[in-house]
Amino acid sequence: MEISFTEKDLQFRGQVRSWIKNDYPAHIKQKQNNGEKLSKQDIIDFHKALSLQGWMGYNWPVEYGGTGWSSTQIYIFQKEFGLAGCINILPFGVGMVGPVIYTFGSDEQKKRFLPNILNFDTWWCQGYSEPGSGSDLASLKTKAVKEGDHYIVNGSKTWTTLAQHADWIFCLVRTETTEKKQEGISFILIDMKTPGVEVEPIITIDGEHEVNAVFFTDVKVPAENLIGEEGKGWTYAKFLLAHERFGIAVVGASIRQLNILKDIVAGLKNPNLERKITELEINLNALEMLELRLLSDLENGGHPGAESSILKIRGTEIQQRLTELFVEASGEYALIYPGPHGHSNNQPAGPAHAAKSVSKFLNYRKASIYGGSNEIQKNIISKYILGL
Amino acid sequence: MNLNYSDEQQMLRDQIQKFCESDYSFEKREAIIKSDNGYDKDLWKMFSELGWLSVPFKEETGGLGYGPVELTILFEEFGKVLVVEPYLSTVVISGSILDNSNFSNKSKLIGSITSGEKHISLAYIESNQTFDHSSPSTTAISDGNTLVVNGMKSLVLNGGNADHIIASVMLDGEFALVLIDQELSGYSSNSYPTVDGQTCAEIQLENVSVPSESIIAKGEDAINLLSEAINLATLCISAESIGCMTACYLKTVEYTKERRQFDQPISNFQVLQHRMVDMFIETEMCKSLLYKAMLECDSNEPTKFKSVSGLKSQIGTAGKFVSQQAVQLHGGMGVSEELLIGHYLKKLVAIDSLFGNSSHHLNKYISS
Repeated sequence: MEISFTEKDLQFRGQVRSWIKNDYPAHIKQKQNNGEKLSKQDIIDFHKALSLQGWMGYNWPVEYGGTGWSSTQIYIFQKEFGLAGCINILPFGVGMVGPVIYTFGSDEQKKRFLPNILNFDTWWCQGYSEPGSGSDLASLKTKAVKEGDHYIVNGSKTWTTLAQHADWIFCLVRTETTEKKQEGISFILIDMKTPGVEVEPIITIDGEHEVNAVFFTDVKVPAENLIGEEGKGWTYAKFLLAHERFGIAVVGASIRQLNILKDIVAGLKNPNLERKITELEINLNALEMLELRLLSDLENGGHPGAESSILKIRGTEIQQRLTELFVEASGEYALIYPGPHGHSNNQPAGPAHAAKSVSKFLNYRKASIYGGSNEIQKNIISKYILGL
Repeated sequence: MNLNYSDEQQMLRDQIQKFCESDYSFEKREAIIKSDNGYDKDLWKMFSELGWLSVPFKEETGGLGYGPVELTILFEEFGKVLVVEPYLSTVVISGSILDNSNFSNKSKLIGSITSGEKHISLAYIESNQTFDHSSPSTTAISDGNTLVVNGMKSLVLNGGNADHIIASVMLDGEFALVLIDQELSGYSSNSYPTVDGQTCAEIQLENVSVPSESIIAKGEDAINLLSEAINLATLCISAESIGCMTACYLKTVEYTKERRQFDQPISNFQVLQHRMVDMFIETEMCKSLLYKAMLECDSNEPTKFKSVSGLKSQIGTAGKFVSQQAVQLHGGMGVSEELLIGHYLKKLVAIDSLFGNSSHHLNKYISS
């Protein structure tokens, strides 16, 4: 056994750190340092900068324009970005639909969609959950009926993250009513500008507009936008969900938050809180080591599967716990709630982190619900690892 | 021993419950929060007419002569529908300070509270303090028949609507509570929304000239009035929290029976059943601590402060557990602003933060 990275990997880490230090867009860094809200354009600028560096396809093979990095390099890249507090790379294009397209799509589709993902000219969103289909995703009802060389799509999707900014949506739709509900599902790409697509905001308890309901009324989608075979959508969806789970532990970002919290608490003389933070730190060490074990397994030819569900469960629990401890560190000032837009010219007295702590605490309640709720993750472990 | 509510107490609960069910819908609450004052003046008038604003006051000052038990009934019911009207700040906190004081003008002021005409808020928190409120940096200097007050108060509950504040000051070097009219020159306030849909203010006092008869109490008396009021308020919000927790588990049970996934109601899944059982158990344990604390407050036992700290410490942890699980079991719907469930979480976070969080009260319990 050997716990340290190779010289080559360390060199790579140096490159990533140097990019973050020198090439991460300065105007975004400034806004983040001041605690300002980022605009749509800021998010685009960040992805464009990444693209310019050739790192947008960080998890893609070279033949599709990706970096061809090893799993260890991807791990280092994600961790460093988290540690430095960079904006999250939006997963919908590069992390989700991209790999589905290059794995299951036609040559035509690869040519048409992949370059726009890598240069971030297309903003993608994910059309999976429906009002009646959350954990039981396969029960989805949005229908696509073939008419000539088009599909006519009717139905609705919900909790669609950042659909208000998206150019395209990838959807799971029902093309056939089958005995086994997984078998009638297809994977289709829809231009958000198509007549009949409507986006309605859903405001969450932190007052933010991050998720949406998306409605489809007689939306005419060219048949060439179907990925792979009709009725095979569930297979592609499962492939994609497996992609979504790796990296969901967000160890880098949690270490960063932990260090910020420790600085805040250092002056408070609150042994109770210090003990809670220490317990969390030990949990975070365990999570980081678990991720490295899975990574090592992967690099040595193994196929870790359901174990990644532990990363999702523990990763989100730690994220949520961190937000709780930030609230606790704010004391009575956690009461003030400036809402999503804050009072930038009119800051109330009290610790600067207080108002943001509560918003983040509320926002992160989603983490144990999205990406397959933590209850579903436990079902996966019990079925595939414990054989129950 | 009898741990059951009397008929009279039960009647009070029924009356409040009826109001909450018929006059305090989610939509109405949303509209009240968005309104200018952040509370409903007509409802406040109605509270007065129903006698609710007179509940804790002594009969000789025009009150109903009820005590902590009746207050907790009211707050538990308010918690179930998340009433945002400023009962805590005006009636409980300021009311308790005035009613227990020897302040010359107290009958008139209490009359203006019970009639619903006036709001009075306690201003005792300053940004440079943690939880020691006995040596404020706000000063009052005697100058003939007036006091000149200077300082900055924060987290003044309902401060934006207050006609008067009761400010903690160092009066010529001695701790004191002073009544200050918001119309006086040099008084300015800045109001902020709180996480539970109410408001609080920062109040600046700049050379405010206050008549010297505005001193409510000084020294040890003033410190006792303050700690009695905060202790009672802590008991009240703990009761409110139990109302929230009760609503959380009931609404979650109802929702899981309706929500179907995998061709069955999700309430069929044992893991969720046990989770809801845990939510129920936590609520019952807190309710038991509430009984202990409220009865000790009612008979003014010397242990009442310790019991309230034990209760508040437990409420903080249990409240977050219950409301977080309610959100989790509602899935995405739980984090939507359009459902009451997420608002219980916000309320329980606010309650944990108010008057010292779980950790703070655990420390207080250990040292008392």
